[in-house]
Amino acid sequence: MLFLQLLVSGIQTGAIYALTAAGFALIFGATRVFHVAHGATFALAGYTFLALSQAGFPWFLGAGAALVVAVAFGLFMDFFVYRPIQRHEGSFFTVFVAAFGMSIVVQSLIEIGFGRGFAVVASPLTRAHEVLPGLYLADIFWVAIGVALVMFGAVTLFLERTRLGIGLRALSENPELLRAFGLSSRRLSMVAFGLGSALAVPGAVLTAVTSGLQPAISAQVMLVSLAAAVVGGIGSLRGAALAGLLLGVVENLVVSVLDTQWSAAAGFVVLFAFILFKPSGLFGQAVAR
Amino acid sequence: MLHRRSLLAATALGLASPLAAPRLARAQAGAHVIGTLFPMAGPNAEYGGIFTSGIQLAIEHITADKMLQRPIDLRAQDSQGTPQGGAVGMTKLANVDRAPYVLLGFTGVSKAAAPIGTRNKTVMINGGGVGPDLAELSPYFWNVIPLVNQEVQAMLPWLQAQKLLKIALVYVDDPLGTGVLSELKNGLPGIGGQLVGSFSIPPATQQFAAIAARVRDSKPDAVYFASYGAQQSQIVKQLRDNGVSQPLLTYSGGSIPSVQALPEAEGLVLSGQAADWTREDPVTKRFVTDWRAKHNSEPTAYHQNYYNGMRLFGLLAQGLEKAGKPVDGENLREEWLRVKRFALVGGEGVFEERGTMSMPMQINQVRGGRSQKIA
Amino acid sequence: MTAYLINLATLATIFGILAASLNVLIGYAGIFSIAHAVFFGLGAYAGAQLALQFIPDVLLACLAGGAISAALSLCLALPALRVRGEYFVAASLGLQMMAVTVFSEAHSLTGGHGGLVGIPPATLFGADVSAPAPFLGFALAVLAVLLLAVRLLMRGSFGRALMAIRDSESAAEAFGKDVRALKTLAVALGCAMAGVAGALFAFYMAFVNVESFTLEQSILVMAMVIIGGTATLAGPLLGVLLLLLLPAGLSFLPFIPPTQIGAVQQLIYGLAMTLLMIFRPAGIAGGRR
Repeated sequence: MLFLQLLVSGIQTGAIYALTAAGFALIFGATRVFHVAHGATFALAGYTFLALSQAGFPWFLGAGAALVVAVAFGLFMDFFVYRPIQRHEGSFFTVFVAAFGMSIVVQSLIEIGFGRGFAVVASPLTRAHEVLPGLYLADIFWVAIGVALVMFGAVTLFLERTRLGIGLRALSENPELLRAFGLSSRRLSMVAFGLGSALAVPGAVLTAVTSGLQPAISAQVMLVSLAAAVVGGIGSLRGAALAGLLLGVVENLVVSVLDTQWSAAAGFVVLFAFILFKPSGLFGQAVAR
Repeated sequence: MLHRRSLLAATALGLASPLAAPRLARAQAGAHVIGTLFPMAGPNAEYGGIFTSGIQLAIEHITADKMLQRPIDLRAQDSQGTPQGGAVGMTKLANVDRAPYVLLGFTGVSKAAAPIGTRNKTVMINGGGVGPDLAELSPYFWNVIPLVNQEVQAMLPWLQAQKLLKIALVYVDDPLGTGVLSELKNGLPGIGGQLVGSFSIPPATQQFAAIAARVRDSKPDAVYFASYGAQQSQIVKQLRDNGVSQPLLTYSGGSIPSVQALPEAEGLVLSGQAADWTREDPVTKRFVTDWRAKHNSEPTAYHQNYYNGMRLFGLLAQGLEKAGKPVDGENLREEWLRVKRFALVGGEGVFEERGTMSMPMQINQVRGGRSQKIA
Repeated sequence: MTAYLINLATLATIFGILAASLNVLIGYAGIFSIAHAVFFGLGAYAGAQLALQFIPDVLLACLAGGAISAALSLCLALPALRVRGEYFVAASLGLQMMAVTVFSEAHSLTGGHGGLVGIPPATLFGADVSAPAPFLGFALAVLAVLLLAVRLLMRGSFGRALMAIRDSESAAEAFGKDVRALKTLAVALGCAMAGVAGALFAFYMAFVNVESFTLEQSILVMAMVIIGGTATLAGPLLGVLLLLLLPAGLSFLPFIPPTQIGAVQQLIYGLAMTLLMIFRPAGIAGGRR
């Protein structure tokens, strides 16, 4: 029963990871920007939701505001940070440092605005009930799974059925061809940042009600989505989502065999193993050495 | 002359910008420089704010009473809660600010700062870190907080009385956590109990659903956790959310507001030094009354400790000023060894030469978002 | 004040060695590692253990730290030979996260989170060099020797071959360069230098624990190299001065309220990182590309 319990909580954690990682992968796939400030998007969305909930607004307004803030921040990063650097043909690491700097800025602003402690939005949905002897399940589990499936379905439909979505997928493969079709890569990269940042919102809202927020939360989210995007095969949305789920499950299951200390590092052991033995990831194309 | 000039300068600066106000304090000639070395950013920064507010109230009282001839100049350094930050900050406080008296917290920071302070003969006061190896760290390192072994020992009789004998422990794997682990391991058999499970966690972990499953699986009567800052709230909430319904226990680290205000923390049992705000001695009474008036809330043990730490300086320096001796680290230590007993908030603090202070202990429980004494 | 400045200068010198060592990887070999703090830590633990168990000779400690880090650099060389770019970044991230867990769990070697306390004062051939000024002198000498070595090596055939690989691996291979051996050597060299810095750090602090060897430290060092300018001798040193002295300098600012000092410092620090990358993407010492 311990195994089943750990599997269930792993799936819940994994669903949140999956959405965030998918957002990161979408941005990276379309624009080749290693968006490490994705964690900051997550933190901003979470705290926006928190602020509105504390002010007494209903949850959907809070979530809506979180969505607006997240998308705005994603576009801001694209427009004011990444593009100027890319215009100078700054290296991959230049982008990395700049984005990391912005993550620090966001974290400090949150500390100044919200204090440095732990904050949570109370919800009756998070309290687990014993559904089977020894197996506890909270209603939020079904919410997390449902939201993840719906969001993921919507994004997949968008990418496969709409002209913009198809353009987005093509952007990573052949920017020249796109230009011939009359789609501007600039506009597409805006769509990628907007959509990718939006994908961080459900995870942020769910985290605000389950494990709670703290200003430093962005680092952990950034690391997990980065790891999941690589394990899934860089640029593959499906891969990133599955890998996010996998990391969540591994993180929880490992506790049944190893010392609990290893829980947080377990995902990164998986990451390291994947790179050594299957560098293309779950769904990625083979990478040239 | 000097005085007048600085007054003029002060007026000019004050008019120019209200932001420049702290500069005034620095211009004061011959102030007692007191350093603080707390985490002021990051996940543990909540403590920095709490510690500082206790010190500030003590300074207000020292100033109002005209205890000292010279004013107090408080200099803050951010320890970042890390040893490296602690070493860099302590070096600056000791060498640049030349503070003879530094208040700090956190076990890792204290251990890194201690050799530097000792070299410079700077008195270091810890009112937050409770790792057992903070005793006898240096002749200049004094604790105004009972260390964690004392806390666990105070908890044991209560556990026995409540017949909570099978304990599971969730702990951060550092000197604090391992200290709790060994105290429980050695102490529980003595009351007929046992440690049925111990689960170590890294300091930055935020997910505890899996730990909760393991804890439930070990079927304890009560669950003890030993952690810091924001992580404590996450442990409490996630244990409760994931079906751990047994009583939760912890040490004085759980006395910060963000933990106490959590609905899930209702019923949390925590040890700590006696914080009897109804005491009638003038020091405690004044502290409690003024705290309530100033902050419109109840003080916590940390406020008390750092108030005491700062008050201790006031008492020592007052003695030195009267005797006409310079207020430096060496003389402060001499005076401290000579007096040993001080009237502090919460009763008389008695120091031992290894730098620890014994204080009466009590067991509290969170009820309605506030800590109340239950034993 | 002098003592404070000497202390700061010593710390800057140690980080100078560390940044220069990472520059060998990033700048000359094109290996973007964010696991450099691991090798810094290995050196520190090795040096500290040597001093605690046998003899506090700082030169021997440097050699021991360098040797251990070089030997274990294979953990980094392995993925470096298999993958590149973002994949390698992720691999080094995985290594960093695993190493932190190992550092905090291997109590007998590292002291866990409690760290190794009471490292004796440094000696050199029996003479006490632990006072701030002589220790700074020794650290500066190490820095000078290592910088000279890097300069000679990078001007020679080794360096030219390395940079050829960095710019185009397949072309270098076609010219008959042994890519695997060269990369492995470069990694070993960079990590060995980091180990030397670690050993000095252990003596400087007289206390080491895992908190000095985390991902944040790795990213800080990486930021020093990128902000200073890669593949230049002076760049990493400039980066160190800027990033290390910036927080120290900010702490002198009088107008920050004591309770917000940390957050405001971090804010300025993050902002400086981002702005520098936007306006000087090639770093301070790098020319405008």
